[in-house]
Amino acid sequence: MNFSRSFHQRILESQSELEEKSSKNRRSSSVSRLITCLIVLVFILYPFLPFINDYWIDVAFFVGIYTLLGLSLNIVLGEVGLFDLGHTAFYAIGAYTTAILNTTFNIPILVLLPLSAILAGGFAYLVMSPVIHLRGDYLCIVTIGIGEIVRIAIINNPGGLTNGPNGITGIGIPQIGPLFVESPTQFYFLIWILIALAIIALTRLQHSRIGRAWNYIREDEIAAELNGVDVRSYKLLAFVLGAAIAGITGNVYASKMMIISPDSFLFMESALLFCIVLLGGLGSIPGTIFGGAVIVVFPEIFRQFASFRLLFFGAALMVMMIFRPAGLWPRKREHLGLEGLGIHHLPSAEEILIESGLRWIQDTVLPELKRAQASHNCLLETQAVTLHFGGLTAVNLFDLQVKPGKITSLIGPNGAGKTTLFNIITGIYQPFSGQVLFLGENITRLKPHQIVSKGIARTFQNIRLFPNMTCIENVMSGPHCHTSTGCWSAILRTPSQLKEEKQIVETAAYRLHQVGLWSYRNELAKNLPYGKQRYLEIARALATSPKLLILDEPSSGLNDKESEDLMDLLQSLIAEGFTILLIEHDMNVVMGISDWVTVMDMGSKIAEGIPIDIYNNPVVIEAYLGKEDE
Amino acid sequence: MGIFLEQLINGLTIGSFYALVALGYSMVYGVMKLINFAHGDLFAFGSYVGYTILVWGSGWVTQTFGIWGGMFITLLITFIAVSIAGILVERVAYRPVYPAGRLPLVVSALGMSIFIQNGIMAIWGPRFQAYPSEVVPSTAFDFMGIHITLLKIFILIFSLLLMTIIYSIIEKTTFGAAIRASALDRETATMLGIDIRKVIFFIFALGPALGGLAGVMNGMYYRSIQFNMGWNYGLKAFTATILGGIGNIPGAMIGGILLGILESLFAGYFPSGGAWKDGFIFLVLILVLIWRPNGLIGEKIAEKV
Amino acid sequence: MKKLGILFGTAFVILLFVSSMVFAEEPVVIGLQAPITGDYAIEGQMAKQCVEIAADLINKEGGINGRPVEIIIADDASNPKDSALAAQKLISQKVAAVIGSYGSSVTEPAADLYERNKMVSVGYGCTAVRLTLSKDRKFFFRTCGRDDSQGQFFAKFAVEEMGWKRIAIMHDNQTYGKGVAEETKKYLEPYVQEGKAEIVYYDAITPKEKDYSAAITKLRETKPDVWYYTAYYPEAGLLIRQGREAGITIPFVGSNAVPNDDFVKIAGIEYAKGTLMTQEPMPQDINTPISKVFLDAYKAKFGDIPSSPWPIYAADGLFALVQAIKNANSTKSENIANAMRTMTNAEGITGKILFTERGDRKNIPYAMYEYNDQGKLQLYTPTSN
Repeated sequence: MNFSRSFHQRILESQSELEEKSSKNRRSSSVSRLITCLIVLVFILYPFLPFINDYWIDVAFFVGIYTLLGLSLNIVLGEVGLFDLGHTAFYAIGAYTTAILNTTFNIPILVLLPLSAILAGGFAYLVMSPVIHLRGDYLCIVTIGIGEIVRIAIINNPGGLTNGPNGITGIGIPQIGPLFVESPTQFYFLIWILIALAIIALTRLQHSRIGRAWNYIREDEIAAELNGVDVRSYKLLAFVLGAAIAGITGNVYASKMMIISPDSFLFMESALLFCIVLLGGLGSIPGTIFGGAVIVVFPEIFRQFASFRLLFFGAALMVMMIFRPAGLWPRKREHLGLEGLGIHHLPSAEEILIESGLRWIQDTVLPELKRAQASHNCLLETQAVTLHFGGLTAVNLFDLQVKPGKITSLIGPNGAGKTTLFNIITGIYQPFSGQVLFLGENITRLKPHQIVSKGIARTFQNIRLFPNMTCIENVMSGPHCHTSTGCWSAILRTPSQLKEEKQIVETAAYRLHQVGLWSYRNELAKNLPYGKQRYLEIARALATSPKLLILDEPSSGLNDKESEDLMDLLQSLIAEGFTILLIEHDMNVVMGISDWVTVMDMGSKIAEGIPIDIYNNPVVIEAYLGKEDE
Repeated sequence: MGIFLEQLINGLTIGSFYALVALGYSMVYGVMKLINFAHGDLFAFGSYVGYTILVWGSGWVTQTFGIWGGMFITLLITFIAVSIAGILVERVAYRPVYPAGRLPLVVSALGMSIFIQNGIMAIWGPRFQAYPSEVVPSTAFDFMGIHITLLKIFILIFSLLLMTIIYSIIEKTTFGAAIRASALDRETATMLGIDIRKVIFFIFALGPALGGLAGVMNGMYYRSIQFNMGWNYGLKAFTATILGGIGNIPGAMIGGILLGILESLFAGYFPSGGAWKDGFIFLVLILVLIWRPNGLIGEKIAEKV
Repeated sequence: MKKLGILFGTAFVILLFVSSMVFAEEPVVIGLQAPITGDYAIEGQMAKQCVEIAADLINKEGGINGRPVEIIIADDASNPKDSALAAQKLISQKVAAVIGSYGSSVTEPAADLYERNKMVSVGYGCTAVRLTLSKDRKFFFRTCGRDDSQGQFFAKFAVEEMGWKRIAIMHDNQTYGKGVAEETKKYLEPYVQEGKAEIVYYDAITPKEKDYSAAITKLRETKPDVWYYTAYYPEAGLLIRQGREAGITIPFVGSNAVPNDDFVKIAGIEYAKGTLMTQEPMPQDINTPISKVFLDAYKAKFGDIPSSPWPIYAADGLFALVQAIKNANSTKSENIANAMRTMTNAEGITGKILFTERGDRKNIPYAMYEYNDQGKLQLYTPTSN
């Protein structure tokens, strides 16, 4: 690792490479802009082409409906990875809201558009809150259940609201000023304009901290939570947003058909939406359009095969998944580089980011660290913390003190309870009794992501990165908990949002550079060799600008040289002002850099002191049954 | 009290069908974590195979072997046929997709389900078919005012027998332990020398075959069959599996029986219960999961952080 | 040899020329919207077969003033969205008129589209009252009856003819089933007010299931005098059998979607016999000149007569349209619609085809039918029990 080479040298070296790369980028981005314009032109001209009659315009309309529904499900399924097989429920609520309010109170359809979104979103919030914590397949069956309950409720006509299996007729048409949306062509434009708006909003969300948070959750929920992402809120947000868009689609569908009935909202619809997202490619917006087109056009083209139509369709689904399971147009992160992150005004020499990051850290983070150190003589303290698992006492009345600006190591034989203690400190477990104090504040009952924002970051014994995201994206999760851009700011690209994004990427850039991984920034995390993955995790933890860094066996799997480099890094971090708490088995590391060692065995503290005392302590030796070999 | 008992027995009968289908479903699901949407359709396929055998040659099988003999032969042949179908389904729709992950498997399963349903329709036609009365045992008697047929008793006993056999295999034999290990952690099981291919073969042969047997008995009991009859049972099987706890194979059986009883009692005792019954079942499921996120009986998992 | 060749060649050409003169006219293209795939595939496929037989018969008689009738099919898969697309497809193919469809919720969006595009459509399997009453549809007709006529018939028959007081009504929560049930309930109201009748059971079963024991036990315990099931034959077959086995001995009456050979097959003859059905006159009972010809032609091609009444109404839809076009001597929609409303000379398999001002079929009488020992329907004659 080269901490000593100056930034300016490196910039000069890569200048010529960058010139070439940026002109290539400029060319490819202007080509892609041209293609986008062409596609938009085709969409605009489509209804007016000579061989396109009303039937084909209607087909295109329904492609639009399914595309918009697919985009709405994509948020939940593609971005966050939540298994939603009941999405039709939200679609139905949007459609029925529009139908009921329009036919009963004559509220104009256009006014009902946002109303449908709000009601569908609100419904999603209400029903998903109690179940959002459920894992994978349990969530799946719950969403199926919700879809069915909504459908059955509609059929049973509670309170005469939904008119049961007959459905609701006489729904009006949208009116924009003096213009009525009535003909197939007009509806075609309505849905595709909505889709265009949705695509712009969703792309911007993808390129914001919200989109990244969703992806972190999808990759590894626990790692996300422990990097400051409020997982529960973001999952709910995805559902609410997805439901809202589905609700809007329901509104347009209802006004086009003028009649809706429960037949349109069967489970098969949810299953088809699922297929659309997968066929297109998870998280891929252009892929979803393809998926929608396939689902609608395929049966139309195969009409002549009459009763064999569906047989072919079933076969086609299987074939697709065998040969292109990633979808027709999968999202490829690693080819986009830093520009793919959607950050505005990237400097042409990306190294400048590192410099800006360093400056920001020197101005903001370092003084914070110094202040924290000076204010308390004990940065982190656990007082009589106890935790049982069934009949086993994992942690027993444990008192731990971590002094500021020092490296404290927690050692002990396997199964002593060290990681459990870390989990209690970082909020994953609640202790049965006792408390955890950080900077004098009682953090025992706080949720993990809240503890991160208080200033504690950790790494994991078995590395938990976000494997399918690039290294820089991984590290960009760090600043998440200190930033506050919401949905609307992200969609509207407010100046404060742009500024925040810049700051996030700068912090991440510097920390990546600090651990020596800057050149891997656009590489997918899963492709990194093991040793570098460890460093990436550390960089990610550093990016949360913590006061205390908790590292769980950071040297495990590293060879001698790598372990030495690690020790150098840790000491440079102390120089920067961090405090470090380690679990370690490698005695060289423990002896080499610790200022203080606490020993744990069978849940209790059996010794503590300066390294050399611990090394020679007979109680400790007995607990380990001898010195640990490397 | 009599009515309650009767509704209970009704529920038990429905439940035993659900339990059999759920058992087969849970075996595949537990080990492969694969939501086998095609499972219900293999149940339907079994029903149709049984029908074809019994109707062939104007009921030759029944005429030659008698009603009960004919039934056993039908069950045997159906078992083999649906076993083969199950293995084929795995080879064609699932095996090539394993490397791609769970979500593409769901789509492939959906595609296979649509394919089998429409395949049945293509072969046997969209009309309802009915197991003719001649091939079905019809002895019946009255007990405590409740009309009970021999067939019903047979189904209950046979289902119980099957469930006991499967339970013993899974819980008491070494191979069963291999299956359970694979259900808990497939990768580790493979690394410990468990031949995962044998396990997969077993579960895909046996699981759907159980469903096929349930299909034949279902056809005999209710008589009418149609190409899309599997859908409902497939969904209930999934529900029962989750209720019992993922990977908990005996739990799925209990889940199925519970589901049947709940349905019956709700439909019987609530006003308009018949119309809301499916919604009620899902509501119960959601509440159970909120209370016990790992299923009623629970799976034994621990996630190490 | 060459001379023989030229002779044959010329004869062939002349033959071709002559034959083309017979049907030198452009065909009249009529669309059929039906569920060829999906849950009601059997109804759609039979409708297709019936309409094609009807078209053959019409063409054998010279078509429409020399022009052959041609049928184009559009599959709506019993699904409202596909229905809209199917309708749109037929509209853009500029057919003269449409026969369709099956299922009121599916027919309605299509009917609206046809109306908007001023195209005549004739429903054949859609009995919901609202199709002709809730909206002005000048171009919509139907050859089948309406739910309210049937409900009215049953209510009167049950109370006045049979003296049944405690009435159990069971449906399947779908458009048709619930529709007839609601209408029946409505027409029973006056009797309920007078204390002459009581609705002791009114609930729905879930279609496509197998086991209705819970619902049946519940119904049995309300001790009704009659059990009226107003939905489709598959469930009806299961219900009667499970009901009888559970000890229900009271009369079982099915509405007009129940009588069907498959009902007998599913229920088994021993349970089907003696059940009653509220039904329009069956084709085999109607002695119209067309019905025998039609049924024979259908049987010759497909092996058996249709197992459901609705496809017959589809064929009658064709007969009606053809007659209307002949009367109006035009294929313009307004003229066809006017002719449909005013014509008195349209003969169908189910009898004379007359339409009301709103497009409903006039004069559909209902009768009570009974399944006999052979599993065939015959008119019910109340005998003393």
